[in-house]
Amino acid sequence: MAFAIGLIFALIIGALLLSISGDPVFDTYQRMWDRSFGTADTLSATFNRAVPLALAGLAVSVAATMGLWNIGAEGQILFGATAATLVGRIGADWPGPVLIVAMLLGAAVGGALWSFGPGLARAEIGVSEIITTLMLNEVALRLIRYLQNGAWKDPEGFGFPQVEARPDQAQLGQIWERAHLGVIIALVVIAAFAWFLNRSVWGYELKIAGSSPKTATYAGISMRRKTLGVMLLSGAIAGFAGGIELTGTASRLSENISNGFGFAGIIVAALALMRPSGVALVAVAFSAVQVGGLSIQTLGVSPAVSAILQALILFGAIGAAVLSTYQIRLVDRKVAA
Amino acid sequence: MSHPAVELDGIWKRFPGVIANAGASLTVRPGTVHAVLGGNGAGKTTLMNCLAGVYLPDEGTVRIDGEEVRFSSPADALSAGIGMVHQEFRLVPVFTVAENVVLGAAPSVLDMAEINQKVAALADRFGFEAEPTRPIWQLSMGERQRVEILKALWRDAKVLILDEPTAVLTPQEAVELGSVLRQMVSEGRSVIFISHKLDEVTSFCDEATVLRDGKTVASSVAIADVDAGQLAELMVGSVSVQQVAPRDATPGDVVLAVDNLTVVDSRGITAVDDISLSVHSGEIVGIAGVAGNGQRQLTDTIAGLDVAQAGTVTISGTDVTALTTRHRVDAGLAYVPEDRLGVGLAPKLPITHNAVMRGYRTMRRGPMLSWDRARAYATGLIEKFDVKIGRMEAPMASLSGGNLQRLLLGRELSDDPRVLVASQPTRGLDVAGVAAIQNLLLEQRDAGAGVLMVSEDLDELLALADRIVVMSEGRIAGEFDPKQVSRTEIGEAMMGAQ
Ligand SMILES: Nc1ncnc2c1ncn2[C@@H]1O[C@H](COP(=O)(O)OP(=O)(O)OP(=O)(O)O)[C@@H](O)[C@H]1O
Ligand SMILES: [Mg+2]
Repeated sequence: MAFAIGLIFALIIGALLLSISGDPVFDTYQRMWDRSFGTADTLSATFNRAVPLALAGLAVSVAATMGLWNIGAEGQILFGATAATLVGRIGADWPGPVLIVAMLLGAAVGGALWSFGPGLARAEIGVSEIITTLMLNEVALRLIRYLQNGAWKDPEGFGFPQVEARPDQAQLGQIWERAHLGVIIALVVIAAFAWFLNRSVWGYELKIAGSSPKTATYAGISMRRKTLGVMLLSGAIAGFAGGIELTGTASRLSENISNGFGFAGIIVAALALMRPSGVALVAVAFSAVQVGGLSIQTLGVSPAVSAILQALILFGAIGAAVLSTYQIRLVDRKVAA
Repeated sequence: MSHPAVELDGIWKRFPGVIANAGASLTVRPGTVHAVLGGNGAGKTTLMNCLAGVYLPDEGTVRIDGEEVRFSSPADALSAGIGMVHQEFRLVPVFTVAENVVLGAAPSVLDMAEINQKVAALADRFGFEAEPTRPIWQLSMGERQRVEILKALWRDAKVLILDEPTAVLTPQEAVELGSVLRQMVSEGRSVIFISHKLDEVTSFCDEATVLRDGKTVASSVAIADVDAGQLAELMVGSVSVQQVAPRDATPGDVVLAVDNLTVVDSRGITAVDDISLSVHSGEIVGIAGVAGNGQRQLTDTIAGLDVAQAGTVTISGTDVTALTTRHRVDAGLAYVPEDRLGVGLAPKLPITHNAVMRGYRTMRRGPMLSWDRARAYATGLIEKFDVKIGRMEAPMASLSGGNLQRLLLGRELSDDPRVLVASQPTRGLDVAGVAAIQNLLLEQRDAGAGVLMVSEDLDELLALADRIVVMSEGRIAGEFDPKQVSRTEIGEAMMGAQ
């Protein structure tokens, strides 16, 4: 309900904006719809794009349960994909399913490795994880740049700096139109974590630790171990997303294999109110808006207007749905003294 | 005929699963100190929040000086002359006294020297001692409370609401507060005073209104016409309040030993200075002292929340100085910390999560927590300790002050710990609750637990403790046998006069 009202409001304001910028309102909205939800083809692509967004959102929200900010999901995705590529090179002649499982596990381990340093520094000497995880994003990017120019450079790339393609058999199967198996895997992973965090002793302790460090210590929970543990888990989930991208939509490791999913994951997590169970739905909406927003640029809508429109719809609709959990009441102010 | 300063009529306030106010009413005459009484969870705080603009009542009318009002925020209420001092203070720790007082209501041209002077003059008028330039973090709880009161007075509040103000005060400070309140009402202001301590009510209130289960059961009773016993009966109904019956202790082995303990706090001040004491099984050792003399750091260090610079802590024969809280719990320690919401509980998490904080490790099934057992356990605690709640899923912080306390105490006592360290165990409890907890402490003692109890209530210590240790400036300033000591002797030791 609130979602619908928020969406309508956003669309009305968006329409005003479009008419000011001289773009055709109806055609623009038509295009956005067609390219995000309108056809089986575009809808399945929207789902594919939602997968890394949702997993990155999960990674961020798991850390946030304990009050930690993993700003480095981007780097963890990149390094996860790098680690998966390494596994792919080692197991180039393994059968597909085995190789895929190995690559995904490798991706998770890689992501965890990438968050290990920040987790340790935070746990042992209290260094802000916000800074360290953010810095490692850059490092992961440089590493890929180095690999595509050096050790892993594609000999068949005509001198173009790109990493060798991953083995062909390491391709996740299609399940519906363009949607690949990663969609199901992501849903299962998210459901499993939401369930685990709510039901397990570990998840319970994590929530206590998120309440206040003093309360955690009082309850006999080691803040150091929990901090390191949750950072490793968060990194592993993000890294896993990198593995899914590599085996699902990409054919090789590249600088833009992540496409900002790690950063967008922070927004996804925030809009899901940091609840792991909410990230899937928010990610689909986010993905649709992004895809739709990009598509209208081919109609001549300027990137700036497109960006504003995306933000409007995202925050108008999802924001309203989220805020409606709060109660707003009109107060008769006339009688106030 | 002048109007009542405050008139609340037929106030209803519902929360999910509970009705906090069910048609409550309250009439406060100008120039009086009016007590609002009632058991834990009776709806006192909620009713005051409705008056002070924190909540909008679901139904009912609020009249100030005869005029109907609807406040949509505390600021609204304040501009109509209603000020409230909440139990948790809302001050900025790094600001000075004067800065906090004028925050949000400062003159447009800031002249700090002039403001400091005005704040000092205001404090002086009400007989406060306040140094306007001291930062809040340096102040004791009692001093902070005075800043809160000054804040309301600075805005010229005509009605001041104090929610359990004396819970954080030493007996001496409570007496001083009483005279400040008399000064305020002599200027024609009104004060609404919530307390569970009936002697305070009889000594400085004029009238009382009693709430029970969200309803007003007695309104504007003249204090001169009743005694504490009658008030207690009005509050908790006809059930007779069980008195504690002191019994002789039969102390056994030492279960808690603190040897030459020194604790330096985060500000670099030596809070606990070379203290040694021991608690035997089957005895209650009371720690008396003015708040802020190292009691909190002592108990926190025993529990493993603070680190000892020197000395050792031994629980049931095990040296736990270097061990974590969890090992201390395993050695038989239970701890009721002074800061309930900040240390002992997780305010935003549901009641069940809080109820099992001590025992959840015994409720595991593999890596999973058995929530069925957790809920059953929480329900048991709530019944046994008479905790009033709405829904089990509600956040802990939605419980009333006394009910928080009951749940925390119940949780720590429920598995018969060998050593119980309890800070202000009866603070914020109603008369029935105080008696119940005191009896429980005695029961634990008789069952062989060693109890270390910190309290600012000397009467409580004299009634319960088998030995009283006085702390002053982080040191032990004397040890007394409660049967042979006078209040004056303890008072002198508390002031550091040995
Ligand atoms: N925000 C809230 N959400 C849900 N329940 C609430 C909330 N505030 C109060 N309650 C419930 O309303 C009832 C009355 O609470 P209130 O705080 O007014 O009691 P009180 O008389 O001040 O008790 P105490 O003496 O223990 O402080 C309690 O059962 C409490 O759990
Ligand atoms: Mg209260």
